[in-house]
Amino acid sequence: MDVNTIFSYDWSYLLPEWIILGFATFLSLLDLFAGKRLGKTVLGWLTLVGVVLAGVFVFVNLNTLDKPYSYMADMIRIDDYGNAFKLLFLAGAASTLLLSIPYMKQGEVKHSGEYYYLLLTGLLGAMVMASSADLITLFVGLELLSLSSYVLVGLRKTSLHSNESAFKYVVSGGIATAVTLFGMSYLYGLTGTTNIYEISSRLVHASLAGYQFLVYAAFAFLAVGLAFKISAAPNHMWAPDVYQGAPTPVTAFLAVVSKAAGFALVFRLLMIAFFQVPGEAGRFFFEEGSLYLAVMAAASMIIGNTMALRQTNVKRMMAYSGIAQAGYLLVPFVPPTTLFFGEVMFYLFAYLLVIFGAFAVIMVVTRDQQTEELKAFAGLYHRSPLLAVSMSIFLLSLAGIPITAGFFGKFYLFMGAIAQENYWLAAIMIATSVVSYYYYFGIIRQMYMRPGTTEAPLAVPKGIGAFVLVLAAATVFFGALPGVATNYLQAQFNPSFNFGDMLPPEFQ
Amino acid sequence: MSVNITSYLLVALILFCVGLYGALTKRNAVIVLLSIELMLNAVNINLVAFAKYGLFPAVTGQIFTLFTMTVAAAEVAVGLAILIALYRNKETVNVDEMDSMKR
Repeated sequence: MDVNTIFSYDWSYLLPEWIILGFATFLSLLDLFAGKRLGKTVLGWLTLVGVVLAGVFVFVNLNTLDKPYSYMADMIRIDDYGNAFKLLFLAGAASTLLLSIPYMKQGEVKHSGEYYYLLLTGLLGAMVMASSADLITLFVGLELLSLSSYVLVGLRKTSLHSNESAFKYVVSGGIATAVTLFGMSYLYGLTGTTNIYEISSRLVHASLAGYQFLVYAAFAFLAVGLAFKISAAPNHMWAPDVYQGAPTPVTAFLAVVSKAAGFALVFRLLMIAFFQVPGEAGRFFFEEGSLYLAVMAAASMIIGNTMALRQTNVKRMMAYSGIAQAGYLLVPFVPPTTLFFGEVMFYLFAYLLVIFGAFAVIMVVTRDQQTEELKAFAGLYHRSPLLAVSMSIFLLSLAGIPITAGFFGKFYLFMGAIAQENYWLAAIMIATSVVSYYYYFGIIRQMYMRPGTTEAPLAVPKGIGAFVLVLAAATVFFGALPGVATNYLQAQFNPSFNFGDMLPPEFQ
Repeated sequence: MSVNITSYLLVALILFCVGLYGALTKRNAVIVLLSIELMLNAVNINLVAFAKYGLFPAVTGQIFTLFTMTVAAAEVAVGLAILIALYRNKETVNVDEMDSMKR
């Protein structure tokens, strides 16, 4: 490859990434030279402009590209799988910004400029993770997201909780990175390439040549290391502390964008690299590999839902709830069917609506009550019916009760597991969901049935009120008509059932 | 004189385990960060060894190593910065004492 090859690519398909990178650079310079003179919110709104603009160009790519476009041997690969995840990340980042702008007015985070452009670099890392098919780029994207979120978590510099959770995040993240890389180094050693499509075919030879043990070891290392980003067992221990200590909008960012990016990476890397490896009977990925992931899913569901029961801090409770959700999301992946992509994307979409809504309410309530305990929600219905009813909708959706988007998300996953005859996993999913009702309804009980310390109406900032209302309406809308979203998803991203062009033709 | 690939892999594996042990058991936060560096360096040994003696020898492994070293340096810089911020609020680098959030 020489210079001419590099110029011969059509770089316009990378516009979403360029825009995010450009805005991150521009905003850091702007903050450096004119930070004092600009109002605190200006940078926030500019960031939002960048995110929306990037979203527009993802749509443009979606409509102009009908087959994957590859840069430098798949170092970056623009396909519908990546585009779908990118839209999710951009929507998540935009929602984070809408929460952050009012949050910044509290003045807990002194460095608001750093906050906004670290959010953008984190977002860029997530976008690279979703649209790369090369170990090196995937790793760099992963670390870009991780490093940005370490700093974001610790940005409330005077708060001991915040510092402490950031340090725990760095240490557990560092260990997880090392474990992931160790798995990657075995993958590389057995195949001599970092392109995951080439790895896929060469890994078969390595496996047949008697290096099966190393192949399995690589799979185990990768699964354990990557479980960190999706906060699934056995690498979930960081989540409660980090969620509690992080600024609330950052917690929501970690819960949605960081987790979805983790899933984008896990699905693409594990599925493509190990797709054809032979196992004891049949193919390794669909037999032993799936069992391994199924155990991870089951453990996450059980640990998340039972540990959430005894939490009194609402952000910690949401962290355990997030661990359980990671378990649910692994269910359609063991083993993946043709419907897997649609199921996962719809679930993540419903999850995005709910998490941002719930954290917006949590942010307003905890600020007003100066505590993150469950008690803060007592009597909320009498103080602000709008927030209480919306929060109930979000919690019902998380629990998977009908007429909410979350119900259909979970229903599709459940039916997928049944169709695969994964009865034990489906049973665990149902049983732990029932357990989860207890703690979700705990909040609802506080809001409607417990007297609060005050009856004074809660002052809800107008922007947040409207934001919560829109998300609650969307949750109900997609709960009543999930077909609107699933049909669009199928038609736009996945018309030929190849997971948004992620699977090459020879795999089907 | 040529050294067997298994020796390289064994050294890397031992280094990785020593690092993991240190990261999980040491009480001093700086030593914990150092142990993580050990784990990452084990990966580098693996990659470079594979680049010469792997099933399909190729220079990509050495390039990958450059990326991991850079990122590891960035990671430890962020880790130390956060540790300093923590030290300003609570004068300790002892991991055992970082337990202000309830379990």
